[in-house]
Amino acid sequence: MDRNALMEKARLMVAQIDDLPTIPAVATQVLQLLDQPDVEIEAVADLMLSDPVMTARVLKLINSPVFKPEHEITSLKMALVYMGLSHIREVALTTSLIEAFGDDTGALRLNAFWEHSFGVGMVSKIIARNVGYKDLEKAYISGIIHDIGEVLLSTYMLEPFGTLLASIKNRPTRLVDAEIMQLGTSHCEIGFCMARKWNFPAAYCEVIARHHAPAGAPLEPVLCAIVNLADLFCCVRGLDYGGQEWISFNLQEEEAWQILKKLAPHLEEMDIERFCYELDDAINDITALVTSLFGAKRPPEA
Amino acid sequence: MAISDTDFERLRDFIYTICGMYFHSSKKFFLESRLVRRMEATGAKTCSDYYQLLKSMRGAEELKYLMDEITTNETYFFRNVPQLNALETKLLPEIVEVKNKMGFRKLRIWSAASSSGEEAYTLAMILLEKRTTLLKDWIIEIVGTDINETVIAQAKQGIYNAYSVRNIPEMYKRKYIREENGSFILSPDVKKFVTFSKLNLYDDSKMIFMKTFDVIFCANVLIYFDTASKSKVVQHFYNNLQPYGYFFVGQSESLHGVNDKFKTVHFPGGFTYKK
Repeated sequence: MDRNALMEKARLMVAQIDDLPTIPAVATQVLQLLDQPDVEIEAVADLMLSDPVMTARVLKLINSPVFKPEHEITSLKMALVYMGLSHIREVALTTSLIEAFGDDTGALRLNAFWEHSFGVGMVSKIIARNVGYKDLEKAYISGIIHDIGEVLLSTYMLEPFGTLLASIKNRPTRLVDAEIMQLGTSHCEIGFCMARKWNFPAAYCEVIARHHAPAGAPLEPVLCAIVNLADLFCCVRGLDYGGQEWISFNLQEEEAWQILKKLAPHLEEMDIERFCYELDDAINDITALVTSLFGAKRPPEA
Repeated sequence: MAISDTDFERLRDFIYTICGMYFHSSKKFFLESRLVRRMEATGAKTCSDYYQLLKSMRGAEELKYLMDEITTNETYFFRNVPQLNALETKLLPEIVEVKNKMGFRKLRIWSAASSSGEEAYTLAMILLEKRTTLLKDWIIEIVGTDINETVIAQAKQGIYNAYSVRNIPEMYKRKYIREENGSFILSPDVKKFVTFSKLNLYDDSKMIFMKTFDVIFCANVLIYFDTASKSKVVQHFYNNLQPYGYFFVGQSESLHGVNDKFKTVHFPGGFTYKK
């Protein structure tokens, strides 16, 4: 289907939603500030302190099992020093997204969504390192936010999206294809419209729009390819929205793999089997991270 | 005895490199308990001593004992569910489509190292279920081979214990399994699709006649072969597959570095090799 038509449909869908969650302006400002060279931690801390909810979230996260400080950290500046500048971007963004999407009433289980998102973030970072992509943190964040469009479908299109999920259950149909077929647009375009509304940096908007079609991405096809592969691998190694989508892929036929191999020919020799098995081992870390962020256990299987 | 993470990783890497089998960290506890037995048997006092033994001249022999401890030889029906799902959901319809176009309505599946037959019969049950739909009017041939004549006799008999059948979905169990005095007897309807025979995978003269398979399964066997034999046997499997065929190895196994012609095809919970 025509990309413009998909985008137009998504734009209308997003425009119709009055109570679309907002990302705190502070989060966007923090991201912009961190993109500047020689940024000072004090400046970031001052900005974050203007949002008490974000401050509280950051302190909760820093004292969680993920970062495991020896003593409880009670000041924001200490927290930022402890986690380091490179993690602040991630924390600012994720705490805001969690705030915006903390409601577990959608068609997708919230924990399953975040486990997939953080999983793709982690795997994107691993692949980025492997291919020599310079900004690992950017790859990580790109992975975390790539599917935000799904949250809108899951929350605001509860019925048609539920029907859609049921129609692909145990079938070899990719979710994105089913969305285009049944809804006339997909989570890629919807996510893009949301990200634009929230003033996300252009590269992130592009990843959200093009993570299923990296080849034609105008800004950062390599970043889109990294997230694309990370997404595929997570979907086959247990971080798959609780089995909502049954996908299979032949790596050699994936355009993302071709893009990355051009950049890093040594990928041809990569031990893909071992890579998969190591991802299985990492799943526990991901579920622990999500549990600590939400403070809730995985609900029982329906 | 608890082994340190470093020792665990070192041993895991060693087993992976030599045998092509990955030990997930969730199985660390299991590995520890089996390792203790081998350390006692060999007199190794520490994990490091044992690791040195594995790397020594006597290492190849000791590794066989260790592998015997850490791979349970028992098999059971519906053992690798992700693989079976992939076969049903994607691979089988794909193969059927290709063969339908050629007007060649015959499906051939090989369970290499079939042991007492659970894997071959599992496949038979799944295919049998499709006799009125996808595989209507198709000829189905499932071949099980093993080097051990005792297990072949068991397979032909088709009588199992409760452990073997515990994973069979209720729908299949009702249709194809009959319980009698604590034994579980397989229906002749399933048995008639499977033939069992003796075969040594090392025997080149026999291997070249195992032709035209659509799918081959060979789980938990290649891990016992050295790299050269593994390459040779896998090349036979490659040659014996139809151009659109698939080759499955066991859960946690890897053919990396063994054969560079196969392509990996991934699916939820596993992967397969495509010709």
